[in-house]
Amino acid sequence: MDNLKNQTLIQLNRVSKTFTVASGQFKALNDVSLAIPKGKLIAITGKSGSGKSTLLNIISGIDKPTEGTVSINGIHVEKLSESELASWRGKNIGVVFQFFQLLPTLTILENVMLPMDFCDSYPKKERKERALALLERVNIKEQADKFPSTLSGGQQQRAAIARALANDPPVIIADEPTGNLDSHTATAIFELFSSLAQSGKTVIIVTHEKDFASYFEDMIAISDGRIVNELVNA
Amino acid sequence: MKTRYWKVIRDLTSDYSKNLMLVLAIALGVFGIGSILGGYAVVNREMTSNYMSTTPASLTIEVEDGITTGLLDSVRKFPGIKVAERRATVGGRMKVDDRWYPILLFVMDDFNQLTLNKFHHLSGAADPAEGTMLIERTSPSVMDAYEGDKIIIRTPNGEPQSISIIGTVHDPGLPPAWQEQAGYAYISMATLKELGETQDFDLLRIQVSENENSREHLTKQAEVLSDWLTKNGHTVHEIQIPPIGMHPHQSQMNAVLSIFTVFSFMILILGSILVATSMATLMVKQVRQIGVMKTIGGTSFQVAKLYLFMMLVLCVVALAISIPLSRLVAAIFYSQIATLLNLEITDNSIPLWVPLIQISSGIVIPFIAAAVPVIRGSRISVRKALDNYGVENKNRTGSWFSRLISKFDFLSDTYRLSLRNAFRQRARLILTLGLLAAGGAMFMTALNVSEAWDKNLKRIYVQRLYDQDVKLNDRINSDSLVNRISTMDGVKVAEGWDYSATSEVKESDYEITRTYPDKGHGSFVMQALPLPTQLLNPTITEGRWLNTPGSNEVVLNQMARNERTKLGDMIALTIEGKPSLWKIIGFTEDVGSSATAYVSLETFSKINNTQGKVKMLRVAYHDRSRDFASVKSKELDGLLEQQKISVSSITPVWLLHNAVAAHMKVLVNSLLAMAILMALVGTLGLMSTVSMNVLERTREIGVMRAIGATPVKIRNLIVWEGLTVGVISIVIAFVISLLLSWYMGEFIGHISFRTPLTLTISALAIAIWIVIVLVGSYVATIFPARRSNVVTTREALAYE
Repeated sequence: MDNLKNQTLIQLNRVSKTFTVASGQFKALNDVSLAIPKGKLIAITGKSGSGKSTLLNIISGIDKPTEGTVSINGIHVEKLSESELASWRGKNIGVVFQFFQLLPTLTILENVMLPMDFCDSYPKKERKERALALLERVNIKEQADKFPSTLSGGQQQRAAIARALANDPPVIIADEPTGNLDSHTATAIFELFSSLAQSGKTVIIVTHEKDFASYFEDMIAISDGRIVNELVNA
Repeated sequence: MKTRYWKVIRDLTSDYSKNLMLVLAIALGVFGIGSILGGYAVVNREMTSNYMSTTPASLTIEVEDGITTGLLDSVRKFPGIKVAERRATVGGRMKVDDRWYPILLFVMDDFNQLTLNKFHHLSGAADPAEGTMLIERTSPSVMDAYEGDKIIIRTPNGEPQSISIIGTVHDPGLPPAWQEQAGYAYISMATLKELGETQDFDLLRIQVSENENSREHLTKQAEVLSDWLTKNGHTVHEIQIPPIGMHPHQSQMNAVLSIFTVFSFMILILGSILVATSMATLMVKQVRQIGVMKTIGGTSFQVAKLYLFMMLVLCVVALAISIPLSRLVAAIFYSQIATLLNLEITDNSIPLWVPLIQISSGIVIPFIAAAVPVIRGSRISVRKALDNYGVENKNRTGSWFSRLISKFDFLSDTYRLSLRNAFRQRARLILTLGLLAAGGAMFMTALNVSEAWDKNLKRIYVQRLYDQDVKLNDRINSDSLVNRISTMDGVKVAEGWDYSATSEVKESDYEITRTYPDKGHGSFVMQALPLPTQLLNPTITEGRWLNTPGSNEVVLNQMARNERTKLGDMIALTIEGKPSLWKIIGFTEDVGSSATAYVSLETFSKINNTQGKVKMLRVAYHDRSRDFASVKSKELDGLLEQQKISVSSITPVWLLHNAVAAHMKVLVNSLLAMAILMALVGTLGLMSTVSMNVLERTREIGVMRAIGATPVKIRNLIVWEGLTVGVISIVIAFVISLLLSWYMGEFIGHISFRTPLTLTISALAIAIWIVIVLVGSYVATIFPARRSNVVTTREALAYE
């Protein structure tokens, strides 16, 4: 496992991202270089507007860098088209949002099955079984046939994590996943992320929650679009 | 089913009202197309089959001196003749409610051996004995008499006699009696004799044995036969070759139905614009979900397919509702047209191509319309989709429009904000305005055309300064009679005129007309009037009116004019079958007349050798009301009776007005029905746009409420926005309606009168449309306004 952990999974090389806003150009990321190994639980921290969400978006392929390269598992993400990116992301990146973002008209089970459907990643007959197994793993199997609106915030976030795991991606990224949850539920969610990292997934979380610092193996501090610390355990 | 499609199904079932509106938008167009095309298909087929079921004669030769059985046998053996029959048609009068109305008496040789221009026996006796008659099924509407009743008939040379109606027939070759304001009856020659007529059969109805669809061949065959008849001592009066295989109203009906088809496709296109705006709303609402789906692996193509599948489901539901409904309405439509054309629908099946067109247009057009918002929505980048907070926060404060509005200090802050909001999404605003304006324009056009039609009909009274038209069977010395009539109480002016059926003499030695067997459709008449006349106020379109008694000048009305004729041309026209040469000095535009050539009575009488005699009387009363004309009609009839003058018909002008009005009643009513559909689609469009605008601004509304805006303020803001759009659309609709009304007036005027209808602006139409739009805008906005107030400020602020 340690050997595995030392392999670099995510490599950002001199990445910058500039946005055009009403007042002119805004550099959200400025010459960021970064290497994240496999199987780690890493936090990205920083003040509001520091560029942490942009960094996460660049890693997940949601956004493309203005300059620099992003290599994940050997794939140069910035070179992929929108369509290729969607497929690639579905198979390689599991995304967990602050507001869960479950599709309201699908049941929890169907929400988890949806990424498999889009990516055609598992045989049709196995998808339901796999989705149920994932829901069991996040302890909400009994909620499988319910609609998101009937679940608590914590349960919805567990469902969102199950959905992120649907295609068994090597990377899970989460943007303030506990920002909308009480501390008790947040602890349970962090434990879940921790267990995922232990099972070999690389988990990157944007968070403000200093109380959960103990869960992270490493932390990337970002300010004004620049990384202001070094990864200690990289 | 794939998981993703469950989302589509549930999305569809979770927002009933919105989706119902989309379904309705598509369904209205498909419904319109199906109703019109379905009706059209059946009418077109039945019109031809009904008319052909009568086995219409290819041609009719009018022989002056009677057709004996021997002559008929010889004609039957004549080369190129397949079938020949002899008939006679006599114009008589019938007494209804103590008043005389025209009746056409069709005299048959043998009721059991009908082979040409057949009618279908419906009830009662099939072979009327002497002193009895059969009537056409539409006749009771003007006769006020039915099978088993008796009716008083008077023929040109006979005394009034009571004839029993013993059977009813359907004659698809004739327009309905109520439309022509005349009765139709079928009698034997013995009955005609009993009625006091001495004439024999004078019409040879003929079907040729070959090339029956070639007008050239028919003309040639008629001429050859006429030559033979002449050589054998008979006088050929006229050859009638009506348009081949065409019902008398076929071309008008095709034109009318084609314009309706265009209207219904326009409804579908407008409905599709509505679908496009509604789909754009849906995509706005779903933008976050699209972002999520793309985040978890959905490609733009997969996402687009989902929403197109949604469209497909909506289209299928719309088709499932609209196709059966359109078939019901098509049935009403073709039944109405069938009544108008006196058709019997024998096969009411709507051909397969109608639902096929509905299906293809009901799917393809909305798909094309929805494709733009769907593709744009599906291609949105994940970050943009996830960052979406509703309406784009583009900086528009600097735009000239916003600056202009800022200067309108006299407007309240709320209204100024509503104005800015209305113009915020300009592409959408243009679509909504287009939809509402098109709906309004067509609505106003329908009413404008309807009013123009009425106005044009009223020109009948403006052009005809007489109130009663009296046609006589024989020419009489006019002076004393006209003087006598002139002194009758209430009579303003009386004049003696003359007339003759006419035709343009071409290479043929015979008078060849396009007249149908009812002697009305396709006829061409020469009217000879004393100059100057006080009883005609012609609308001159070119040249001048007649002013020189005794000259060989002729004025043709628009029905008699063809593309080649021009001022100064010489034209050879027949008078009582004899050719005469005339110089064209003017053209008129008559309302409600068949093809007419106006000439000087003096010249006419001279050519016809009937100086001092007239065959027509025209009388004007001081009181132009219908009731007065009716009273006077009886008095006039009594006077003529006293003078032993045989009257062919006494036609009040109001009867002519009613007959012309009846011809286009269905067209005008159908136009109004179309207009209502358009109004509905337009209002739905406004509702869709405003609710989309409100939906996009849910968060913004939350902010406004958080900083103190009351629910009433918010509601007013939204309602004013809808009303602003509505008012702008009214102005645009009015301008478009002027152009459309002009075009439709030209079109309908030409197919009915060969002259455009006067452009008319209906104040009622404008008023109704203003009310529809304002009420519609209010209703369309009050729901989203209420909805925005039902959402709590916290929910609105958290809205994604």
